[in-house]
Amino acid sequence: MKKQYAIVVELDRCIGCRGCQVACKFENDISLGASRNHTYTMGPVGSFPKLSMYFLTLMCQQCENPACESVCPTGACYKSEEDGIVRIDPELCIGCKSCQKVCPYHANNFNPEKRIMDKCDLCEASREAGEIPACIKNCAGAALHFGDINDPESKVSQLLAANEGYVFTLKDETGVNPSGRFILRREPWIEELPHVFEKMLQEGNGNVR
Amino acid sequence: MKNYISAIKISGLQKASMGRSYLVQCEKVLLAPDTQERIVHTACRACIANCGVLAHVKNGRVVKLEGDPADPMSKGRLCAKGLSGINALYHPNRNKYPLVRVGARGEGKWKRVTWEDAIDRVAHMLMEIREKYGAECVFGSTGGGGNPEVWSAARFCNIFGTPNWFEPGSAQCYLPRVLACAMMYGGMDASIADSNCLEFYDEENCPIQALVLWGTDPSYSCPASGGRMVNELRQKGVKTVVIDPRLTPDAAKADVWLPIRPESDVALQMSWIRYILENKLYDEDFVMRWTNLPYLVDCDSRFVVHPGGEKTAALVWDKKSNCAKTLQYPWDEELDVELFGTHEIGGKLYKTGAQLLWERVEEYTLDKAAELCWLDKNDIEKAIRIYAENSPSSLCMGVATDQNINSEQSAMAAIILDFLLGNVEKPGTAMQRFQISGVLKSPNYPVPVALKCLPKEQLEKRLGGREHKGLSIWYGGHAASILKAIQTGKPYQPRMWIDRSGNKFGVLAEVQKWAEATEKLDYIVHMFTYPTSMTAYADVVLPTEEWLETEMVVETCNICVARQQVVHLWETRDETVVWSNIAKRCGELGHEMCKKSFDPEFMGEDLAYWDSMEKFFDQITPAQGVTWKEYCEKAPFEFLPKEEWKTYYVYKQPDEAGLPQGFNTPSKKIEIYCDSFIELGRTGAPFMPYPLPPADQDYEPLPYYAEPTESPMRNDEISREFPLTMTNGRLPLYHHSTLRNIPGLREMMAVPELWICPEDAETYGVHTGNWVWVESKRGKIRAKAYVTKGIRPGTVYMERFWHPETLNTPTHGWQETNVNVLTRSEGPFNDVVGTHVLRGFQVKVSPAESGPEGIWTTPADFKSWLTVGKT
Repeated sequence: MKKQYAIVVELDRCIGCRGCQVACKFENDISLGASRNHTYTMGPVGSFPKLSMYFLTLMCQQCENPACESVCPTGACYKSEEDGIVRIDPELCIGCKSCQKVCPYHANNFNPEKRIMDKCDLCEASREAGEIPACIKNCAGAALHFGDINDPESKVSQLLAANEGYVFTLKDETGVNPSGRFILRREPWIEELPHVFEKMLQEGNGNVR
Repeated sequence: MKNYISAIKISGLQKASMGRSYLVQCEKVLLAPDTQERIVHTACRACIANCGVLAHVKNGRVVKLEGDPADPMSKGRLCAKGLSGINALYHPNRNKYPLVRVGARGEGKWKRVTWEDAIDRVAHMLMEIREKYGAECVFGSTGGGGNPEVWSAARFCNIFGTPNWFEPGSAQCYLPRVLACAMMYGGMDASIADSNCLEFYDEENCPIQALVLWGTDPSYSCPASGGRMVNELRQKGVKTVVIDPRLTPDAAKADVWLPIRPESDVALQMSWIRYILENKLYDEDFVMRWTNLPYLVDCDSRFVVHPGGEKTAALVWDKKSNCAKTLQYPWDEELDVELFGTHEIGGKLYKTGAQLLWERVEEYTLDKAAELCWLDKNDIEKAIRIYAENSPSSLCMGVATDQNINSEQSAMAAIILDFLLGNVEKPGTAMQRFQISGVLKSPNYPVPVALKCLPKEQLEKRLGGREHKGLSIWYGGHAASILKAIQTGKPYQPRMWIDRSGNKFGVLAEVQKWAEATEKLDYIVHMFTYPTSMTAYADVVLPTEEWLETEMVVETCNICVARQQVVHLWETRDETVVWSNIAKRCGELGHEMCKKSFDPEFMGEDLAYWDSMEKFFDQITPAQGVTWKEYCEKAPFEFLPKEEWKTYYVYKQPDEAGLPQGFNTPSKKIEIYCDSFIELGRTGAPFMPYPLPPADQDYEPLPYYAEPTESPMRNDEISREFPLTMTNGRLPLYHHSTLRNIPGLREMMAVPELWICPEDAETYGVHTGNWVWVESKRGKIRAKAYVTKGIRPGTVYMERFWHPETLNTPTHGWQETNVNVLTRSEGPFNDVVGTHVLRGFQVKVSPAESGPEGIWTTPADFKSWLTVGKT
């Protein structure tokens, strides 16, 4: 089976501290106002005081059929055969933001200094130097993991297997088939995209269930 | 510096400098590129947690920070605050040189001077005030975040001869809990945010079954250390109970969340004590043998009876002989000791400590607690059962209960709960007395306060010191009394303020009164790493070092860590040295004690002052057999293997006489009925070197509940006009008043949120993302509303805030959104420690048309604060 590197998040472990966002920002020199990952607050939902809330950290989902790849006019955005990671070639990217518009997970962002698109590549440079991605390294909750989800021997696959029945993927309405996996045991999964859900909460429609 | 400048090629410089004698061309020297990346093991100080850091240095510049896996508490993780250390270090708005004011206060006109000049000016100011009005008219302050070392200010004040220094925290943060623990147990308290509860960090082996987080949110206050640890315990199945009006991450993950009405905590704690006593859930063996609850108390004097005056012997009621007998330490198997009882002996009334405790809590039934605390009775019961029936368990307190008038009582009630369950020095419990390295004489901070240097007549002049003697455990003064003295000139007029950290205008209660008070001060000195609101009121500004520039001995579990000077920028100095510089100059100007403070023979254990950090540390690291330099090379290192370092049941270890050594209390027992509090209020014992005049009223030996001064339960004019109760609480992005100038953090939270529940939001016409007015009896500010079910109805939440971007406007950054414009500096205070009110006061909320002028709200606004140069 082809390799598919992806991030696996144990949501029960995420304590919402935003350390991963800051770590990524420094590691990848992300400009102000942009970010490769984001921790969303899912909830609280339910009726006070019996509430449910968890934090969902979201970055590029390394989709099987990436929408960003299919709309890219220059071929800058591509899914790599060897590891399944979706990459943007900075030489080819013209910063047209087409990919940003189609990504259902808001995982692409525009770098205003370089005027090209930017997204999570699982800290390519660090991995080449034998390190793990910065968000994972600094995660206080040890909630973030990465590895080949297609290799049943990999640590992430074993983690997923051990949590059978509690593994979720993000809502997929366009058939992009996201590779990111989320483990959630303590709370009920909210079947809504985080940014959509947050917007609903802010508009006062707190009871989504 | 010369070489660096000459290494830069500036075209046209030669031409421009020709014929101008003041521009001299330097000899060209090219710096050899240092491409080798160096990694320095150091320790963070973005908050108080001291997490281990690996600082990557390249070409003399810090290029990357990451957690140090050698740190047994953070285990290689670093949080948002710590990672931002690079931004803080290379911030373009650092205080770079000593500055003296040349315009009017607040005008923002400064002149750069040399350190020598600045120290000379400060010393002359100090000496002038001392000569004209007395040394007590100078007051010092510390705290507010950005503290490398907490005692430096206290030490200087003692040596200079003023009893007046304060920390905005202390009685409002941690001190009440430290005091209760010191008086009743004599060991470390159970504060996770203050890097205690060391037993829990060996998560795999720690047998704890249930953890109560009371007014504390480790995932927000210390994510990488305590937050990480609690998370691991939860993952391995430890049950948790969280008491907090706000749905914090820890509350969301708890087995039971009790969203308590702010500052009604003691009422709830009393109900827990009552329930545990009534249902006999306490550890009877421990309570009988190792606490003073069976001891008889003289109901007139309210002191425990010690026949023969020996504090370790006590009068108990023997059920076998049906009469009072003397119990010799540690226990007498011949006696059948009674726990609850009231007896008349020789016409006098005596009750056991347990009886008095029961009488104190008797009215606090679950029903009453539910009514007072706005909680569900069944949830309360479920929480108590989790805590009491899953042994070993522990109850960890946070700062929440320190911030209202019940502060000391809450601290006492909380540890009584752990005492009753016998959660003391057992494997899996928070309260422990593990081994220490000996480098630090007091936990976490090495500077000796040198109390002996302060003359008795000066100590007696401590503002608020007579009334609130509990402050003397930290040898500190009472901020609200100092403010009152400035306002009224009584009992004397303070005239000079020397402050060394954070933004006091972000953290002091009712800060507008402090701003007004500055007009009555002749001199104000502010030392910090960057300009704060306080700078606008200062006459002299001294630039201090960021944590990546400072040095400190740090002890983390069984590991000795060194905070090392990774790099050094500008003319900044470690403030631990600055105080020494000032003392030295005062000595030269004729201050005898300042002169003597440099004499090792005179200072003895209080150590002679130092003119560098190395000279200071070289006096203390020999406890580990090394110089400071060697310590740094070696660190991080184990000072004891983990198994030897962990010493359980210290109280059972034999003393010289072969008896168990007991606890560090006068009776060697846990003193749940703590008559030492009465003694403290009357004399200042055990912290003062001689008896001081008594407080107006005796302190209580047992906790009691007082309804907060402003409260919805009072149904008075204030609560009708201001119907919502305000609480505060930590965010993972900021620490106290610091880090509001960090672009990467401010872009995530540019302005403070006001949390309000959907029902209240509807009542007051408030929507998420909209600006609202928040108003108390004392002031009015704005915040952005966040409508969420995660805050109890009737309650709103805000965290402290100030705006470095409006420093040079008439608001000086503290007036727009700072919740401390609304807090309360006036009494009534907590009796023992003088706590003023930072949480649990009444406000009203209404929609605002717009946000405050001039504040920055979008990411691009913060661009000018990005690091100088390229990382």
